[in-house]
Amino acid sequence: MNRRLARFLTRLYPRAWRNRYGAEFEALLETERAGPRAPFDVAWSALAERVHPTQSVAKEQWFSAHPFRSWRERAPLAMICLAPVPMLVAAYAIACLILWVGWRMFMPGLDSPFGVRAHGLANFYFQAGKSYYCAAPVLVGWWFEFVAVKFRLKAAWLTIGLLLLAWMGAAARIEANRRTVHSGLGHISISFNFCSLIPNAYDGMLHAATILLLAASPYLLWRFLRSRTLS
Amino acid sequence: MRSTRHVAALQRDSLAGHYSDPPLLVLASLASGPKHGHAMIEDIQGLCGTRLGPGTLYGAIARLERQGWIEPLPAQERRQPYRITPEGLAVLRAKLTTLEQFATAGLRRLEAV
Repeated sequence: MNRRLARFLTRLYPRAWRNRYGAEFEALLETERAGPRAPFDVAWSALAERVHPTQSVAKEQWFSAHPFRSWRERAPLAMICLAPVPMLVAAYAIACLILWVGWRMFMPGLDSPFGVRAHGLANFYFQAGKSYYCAAPVLVGWWFEFVAVKFRLKAAWLTIGLLLLAWMGAAARIEANRRTVHSGLGHISISFNFCSLIPNAYDGMLHAATILLLAASPYLLWRFLRSRTLS
Repeated sequence: MRSTRHVAALQRDSLAGHYSDPPLLVLASLASGPKHGHAMIEDIQGLCGTRLGPGTLYGAIARLERQGWIEPLPAQERRQPYRITPEGLAVLRAKLTTLEQFATAGLRRLEAV
């Protein structure tokens, strides 16, 4: 592996790790007959090191010496914590696409697909789409838990991510109407009106709590089983 | 009659027999004497056919060093040799004994099939 690539790959690791292993690791990369998988192996290990550092003592010393710069080290964790947000937005975008296709296929003459009784295949199609829309925050939550367990994230980061997810899931509103929705693509728009939770605080909280409970249940079950196994 | 495709499939399937537990492989490699990173990769490949990536190797080294199961020796130019500690030897012995028991029991069951 050439020296420039070896240096670049070494720089993917956190500073505390580089201070301890950087020189010898770079030397290994330069001498090792690296296959095409080596850069991916190093990048993946560097990510794992950033999420779950082995150099915690050095890191704590570094944090105490640089208290204001410590947030730079925590940035990857914050990014993982925010990952459910774009994932849920993407899942809802797919739900909008399903709705738009169904609207075009089964009720092309109507101003809105909502408030109309569908039959047969159309009914099955829209019910399947609705189920997907309702399940999307829970499915994204399960994916997020898998990532969190895989990277051994602290429960605090997972909780923040799931709370964000539950709040977004409860606040999401899809509108589809040719007459009233002019700005949305295909007369369909999705909004996350968080203020809408305030007037119906009880319903909004109940909705968010349901999403949170369903999304968190596999993780809680896993923690429970693990604690029983360890004890 | 075995076709070329059948033999290739057998060879591919034999890869599933490669053992891959990087910390244990590193401990086993260092059991025969101190080594630096590149020597460990070559030794492990000879030992069990698994070629560890550099990132995987140093992930295992960092964790083993943190646990006190291996320790660094004085550097040779830019290379850093490591050696296994007495605690690491005890851990390796315990793990390999468990694996041996597991393998013996598993093979006995296979013979019964």
